[in-house]
Amino acid sequence: MGSRTASKDIITLRGSAAIVSEFFGYSANSILYNRGIYPEESFTKVKKYGLPMLLTQDEGVKSFIAGLTSQLTEWLEAGKLQRVVLVIMSKATSEVLERWNFSIETDAEVVEKGVIKEKSDKEIMREIQAIMRQIASSITYLPCLDEPCVFDVLAYTDKDVAVPFTWIESDAKLIKNPQMVKLHSFDTKIQSGHTGFLQER
Amino acid sequence: MILRTPAQKKRRPDTLLTDHESPVYDRRLVLYEGPAPVTAVDPSDEMVCTYHCRQMVKSDFLVALNNAEKQLAEYETKLAMLNSEFSQSEDERKNYKDRVLSLEQELDASKGREHALQERLLKEVGDSMERYKEQVKRCCELEMQLNKEIESHKNAELSITSANERSRDLEGKLQRLSDSSEREKNILKRQLEHLQDDSKLSSYKIAADLERMKLRAENSEKESELLREQLNDLRIHLDECLREKSGLEHKVVTYAAAPHESTSEDNNLVKHLREQLRNYEAEVQEARKLKSYHVNTELLKEKLLEEKGRRERAETELSKLQEAQLHAQNLELELVSWKSLLDELPDVSAVTDIPKKFAALQNETIQTMLEVGETKAHLKQLEVALELAEDKRQNAEKESSLAKEKAANAVLEVRRLEIMLSSVTEERDKVKKEAIMLSKQKIGNEGGLSTETLVKDMESSLVERENTIKELATNLHEQREVVHHLHDELKLLNEQLSTEKRKVKSLEREGDRLRSEISLLESKLGHGDYSVANTKVLRMVNTLAVDNEAKHTIEALRAELKRTQAKLQAVEELKGQSDATNVIDGGIPEKLAQLKGQIATLEKREERYKAVFAEKISVFRRACCLLFGYKIVMDDQHRPDGIPVTRFTLQSIYAQSDDEKLEFEYESGNTNILGNDYSSQPEISHQIEIFIKKMNSIPAFTANLTIESFNKRTLS
Repeated sequence: MGSRTASKDIITLRGSAAIVSEFFGYSANSILYNRGIYPEESFTKVKKYGLPMLLTQDEGVKSFIAGLTSQLTEWLEAGKLQRVVLVIMSKATSEVLERWNFSIETDAEVVEKGVIKEKSDKEIMREIQAIMRQIASSITYLPCLDEPCVFDVLAYTDKDVAVPFTWIESDAKLIKNPQMVKLHSFDTKIQSGHTGFLQER
Repeated sequence: MILRTPAQKKRRPDTLLTDHESPVYDRRLVLYEGPAPVTAVDPSDEMVCTYHCRQMVKSDFLVALNNAEKQLAEYETKLAMLNSEFSQSEDERKNYKDRVLSLEQELDASKGREHALQERLLKEVGDSMERYKEQVKRCCELEMQLNKEIESHKNAELSITSANERSRDLEGKLQRLSDSSEREKNILKRQLEHLQDDSKLSSYKIAADLERMKLRAENSEKESELLREQLNDLRIHLDECLREKSGLEHKVVTYAAAPHESTSEDNNLVKHLREQLRNYEAEVQEARKLKSYHVNTELLKEKLLEEKGRRERAETELSKLQEAQLHAQNLELELVSWKSLLDELPDVSAVTDIPKKFAALQNETIQTMLEVGETKAHLKQLEVALELAEDKRQNAEKESSLAKEKAANAVLEVRRLEIMLSSVTEERDKVKKEAIMLSKQKIGNEGGLSTETLVKDMESSLVERENTIKELATNLHEQREVVHHLHDELKLLNEQLSTEKRKVKSLEREGDRLRSEISLLESKLGHGDYSVANTKVLRMVNTLAVDNEAKHTIEALRAELKRTQAKLQAVEELKGQSDATNVIDGGIPEKLAQLKGQIATLEKREERYKAVFAEKISVFRRACCLLFGYKIVMDDQHRPDGIPVTRFTLQSIYAQSDDEKLEFEYESGNTNILGNDYSSQPEISHQIEIFIKKMNSIPAFTANLTIESFNKRTLS
């Protein structure tokens, strides 16, 4: 979490990066649960953002997401991360069925000069809560994924970023005729996250 | 020509009298009266008097004549002067006439120009009125468009409200369904609890039966062991007996060959041996019984194992049955709910239609959302255009009002000019009349006085005419300037209108272009396109697929290992049983040996890994302890809400007692200190407050604690 004074209003770059990466971790878990990528019984409930959030107990997925979020935090602190995409593909055909897009805009001034911004934690939590509710409600209008699916995470970074040894360059895994739905956004005053998803028409 | 009457000479009263009285002067007809009759006055005197009188009269007459001649000369000069003046005045009159004619011509020309100006003004007023009408028409059209858009907006809002109502209804239905499902869940939970209680009872019963069976099995095992021992003893005994028997039989045979040599001792021996044989046979029978018992126990064991297996299968099947029952109940509830949904949803007759209907509804909602977005964008565009049109209309109204005012002013000016013209014509008529009078006067009177007054009048009227003409000229000039100014203003306004129209069109085009660009960019962004020059796409190498595959292979290998171990056990048991019967397959020992070898290698590998890991972890722990001064014990636990947490217990190497331990809890990147007796001590709690709660730094707290305990140790 960001550095806190008694009023809990000051947000640093490090704190903002932690908030955004944590948000992505919980969003990924929520998407995996709601889209039925993993069975329901492999998730447990925890309280986060004032909502009951579901976290996977599968050790592999857990370690995968933990490693992912730590790397995203690093990139966010450097201001090098542009977008994170969670791709859902068919296990049999590797066809991309859904793309959950998390666009990130970073204030360059904060990265260069280390400026501190102020925003209420409650407001940020409220904004994230709205996005989580939207992800949970997407199950009502998205089609069911009848076939077994797998997921992967793509990170859009700046060109000058050094590729860690656990990461490789990849194609963008685009959908041919996408239908886009925009969800809400949230803003820590240092970084802002815009959420949306695409599915095939 | 103004006739002036010369001023009368002032004479003395005498002369005046005489002059007045003189008939010549007065020009009166004086009757000459003869000489008055002479009276008694002296006739000489009368003659002298008359001579004197005649002389006086003559002198007077001469004087008068002279005077008259002088006057006449004067009058003649005056007349000549007057004549010259009259001729001058006539010339002037002519000049004035010419001037009046030219002025009349100019007036006519100015009239014509004014007329033309009026026509032009009227034309311009007409044009401005037409433009105003066009603007009003455009405004009406825009108002109609606005009304249409407002109606479409209202329709869209109505559709949105109806969609919202539908969604609310659906949400209400969903809530109801969820409430009903919750109620049913509660009912099912209660049923499940009942079933669980029943299953618990049955499991307790089965456990009790199991225990009984276990006890029986243990007893039977013990008995079987005892019997085995007895059997072994008996076998040994049997072998001995058999050997003795064979020896004895041999002996008996040898004794049978030499029958005469048998003595009573041999008989006794034989009897003894027979008794022994009988005993041994009895023992053999007992051994056989024991063997059969042993076989029975083994059979019982097998049966026990089978029953255990059956119990386990029964339990699993029970649980499966419970799950199947739950599943069936869930399916029934779902069926009921789907049926109710079918009944509630319109245009749906079968279950297969529901997903289509939902897909159609989803598509409809997505399309309506898109349409709503588009209509909102279109509305905004129209609102902007309407605002612009309203501004234009207001500007046009202002311009038209200005043009109207100008036209009114021009009309007023025209009227004023007309009035002036009429006044000028009146004056011209007056001048004409006066000229006619002058001419009449000239013809009728050649006296001085009347011509003088006429000339004066003419001069004054001429002066007035000149003044009016000057005023008219200045007014004309002003009017021309005003008209020019109006014209220039109109031109400027038209130019401004045209430039602003062009600007508006260009802005509209730019706005459309920008909107299309924005939509394109948004679609590209959403689509996932990116600039290769600035961005690269990365993904993790150790994906879950790879991990999962490895896991699957590991699990498959483990399952195979278990199966081979079970097979091996079964084969070993079979081998133990079939040793006596020697029913052994030829290929199994080789497979068994291979499997055993594999198991041995895997177990060795596992032990090696364990040993290496244990070594490494112990080295790491020792290094951590030596470097940071704390022994760390890690323990995975679960909180009451089921969340897995890792507990770390730290004990400083400088701790003076074993109770001096700190407990921390680690969960998803967060570390919290737990309260215990040691941490609740005032010194430690104070440090916790400062370093952990205020400064949010556990390493600082542990370092400070290490230093304090080191100091305590060294001082003590």
